[in-house]
Amino acid sequence: MNKTASKRVAVMSPQTRLAHSRRRLRGPWRTPRLDPGDADRAQRAYRRQRSRGITALAATALLLFGLPVVFTMLPALTEVRLLGVRVSWLLLAVLPYPIMVGLAWWQLRRAEAAEDPGERDG
Amino acid sequence: MAAGLVAASVVLITLVIGIRGVAAMRSTSDFLVASRRVTPLLNAAAVSGEYLSAASFLGIAGLVVKDGVGALWYPVGFAAGYIAMLVLVAAPMRRSGALTVPDFAEARLASPRLRKLAAVVVLVIGGLYLVPQFRTAGLVLSVVSATPYWVGVVLAGTAVATTLALGGMRAATYVQAFQFCLKLVLFIVPAIWLVLTAGAEVRDAAVQPTEFTHFSQDTPVTFRVDVTLDVEQPITAFTREGEPTRLSEGTHRMAADSTLVFPGGARVPEVAGVSPPGSPGWERPLLDFAGAGHPLLGTMAVLIATMLGTMGLPHVIMRFHTSPDGRAARRTAAITVTLLSVFYLFPGVYGVLGSVLVPQLYLAGATDTAVVALPMQVDTGWQGTLFTALLTGGAFAAFLATSLGLLLASAGAVAYDLAPAGLGRLRLAVVALATVVVCLALFAAHLDAGVLVTWAFTVAASTFSPMLVLGIWWPKLTAPGAICGVLAGLLASSGAIAVTLFGPHVSGWLAILLAQPAPWTVPLAYLTMVLVSLRGRPPAWSMPAMLRLHLAEEPAPPAARHRDRTAR
Repeated sequence: MNKTASKRVAVMSPQTRLAHSRRRLRGPWRTPRLDPGDADRAQRAYRRQRSRGITALAATALLLFGLPVVFTMLPALTEVRLLGVRVSWLLLAVLPYPIMVGLAWWQLRRAEAAEDPGERDG
Repeated sequence: MAAGLVAASVVLITLVIGIRGVAAMRSTSDFLVASRRVTPLLNAAAVSGEYLSAASFLGIAGLVVKDGVGALWYPVGFAAGYIAMLVLVAAPMRRSGALTVPDFAEARLASPRLRKLAAVVVLVIGGLYLVPQFRTAGLVLSVVSATPYWVGVVLAGTAVATTLALGGMRAATYVQAFQFCLKLVLFIVPAIWLVLTAGAEVRDAAVQPTEFTHFSQDTPVTFRVDVTLDVEQPITAFTREGEPTRLSEGTHRMAADSTLVFPGGARVPEVAGVSPPGSPGWERPLLDFAGAGHPLLGTMAVLIATMLGTMGLPHVIMRFHTSPDGRAARRTAAITVTLLSVFYLFPGVYGVLGSVLVPQLYLAGATDTAVVALPMQVDTGWQGTLFTALLTGGAFAAFLATSLGLLLASAGAVAYDLAPAGLGRLRLAVVALATVVVCLALFAAHLDAGVLVTWAFTVAASTFSPMLVLGIWWPKLTAPGAICGVLAGLLASSGAIAVTLFGPHVSGWLAILLAQPAPWTVPLAYLTMVLVSLRGRPPAWSMPAMLRLHLAEEPAPPAARHRDRTAR
């Protein structure tokens, strides 16, 4: 990643990179290597992100795949009305979005916290 | 005419911002700095701008009119895709330095063959995604300006290919971010206006759907595709010129582009295989394909495809690369979920209003035009014209932004991964691909945008999603495993779609598994990848190749040896 693998990747717009692509075509592929220190750090980060990611994905899957099951088990939700609108319509057209936004920001905060220096070295 | 003007001005403003964006980028001494300035908010707006295609802007509302409220599961899956992206792909993908999925394949697994295979998959996804964009452009133009379908398709293809071949190679960020704001405003403002202007009677009818059985007034229907009508009671309809035509009991074949005016009070003829808006089951919040009787399976199929497919969309992955680092890429995904969630609150409004105000579109096979057809039903004066024009402009912005990104990604796959070539060939590839897609779109008028786009998601979910997820999170993945898995997913998903399109008619749960094959093709691809990988041995560098994707960039380098890492 540092001294050993000196391949540097320029950051540029995808469009520019495509246009420039012929210049770096078929460059020699380098074996990825990590310093022992970096490897340790990466290993810990990988484990932390994996466990946190699984929780967030499970919560999302529960919401997405649970709601259709609820609709199947409780067809009465379509008959009940809230302010004149069927409850099941509201549950489908409105409810998932604030929950998904909340999940996304919750997971973002946890993923970033896992990368903070204190957490990282500990 | 006004609609045409608005569509033209959307194209013009896009060009102007694109040119200004290029100038702004050039004025900085180092393009790298300019690129690193793309903040998560700006980038998320650009991602959303590119993502909200004709399928989101028009397709979802059209599917609500046609299939029922359950079609609102599509946007839920579209938005949830970015949670999966945030958790699984965004930061490691950015840290890999790979720009496209074929790039990633080579960076992680060092296999040029996998790279070529991935490029073929990009072309399949690009084709499935581009055809509905061009098709919908043709359909919308034919509704607002009475031109034949093919004129709109060819115009759309020409506009996109020209923009891209001439100047679209740089600085797309500002264009796409601008288009997101444009689409948001052009979608939300007319929706609020429609709800307020429609009147209490229409609002009540919208929340209490009743089956569309009788024409409430004289209703002109222009058939967009060949339709077979089943008439129960004889109807005396009129041609456009006012000549009476008698439709006796039995089936009648209507040619595409013909128009009939049905008299008010007449019983609505039936269309084979489609149930009318508001019929029993329409109000149920689950997706039942072709009356197969398995709504839960149908809903899950769409959710799996859309949620897992998002992370493999070539034009979206590209955008994450413009973030300065992995952290910003992750942040971009979170903001994208938020921005999309705002937008996706509104397709349902158009859908339920459409089922009350323009249910006859289901006869014409043109439910995808419900959104642009609505304003004139509410107000026939200047306001209706204005809002029709605004919505048409928004639809064009939607189709333009998505098509540009997709066409570029597909052209890149041809001219960069499959047959390495210079800039000239890249331009040629753009024009050639646009021509192919236009030809395909000419024969796709009868396919709904939302369905076609979901097929693109299905292919992505069955090929790139396992390759990315396992490549990033499973060190034992091998190149042969990835190749077999991608091949299995590609052949299974595209095969199922081909059988649906050209094969014999099937019914029941088999029909769902062919029309929406994600529930079996995705596990098949994952399993193949894992099993073939376990049979072989990963190379010694496999572990570091995976781990480095999870190594966070140093925010402020504490030691000199970290200096170059921050430049990535």
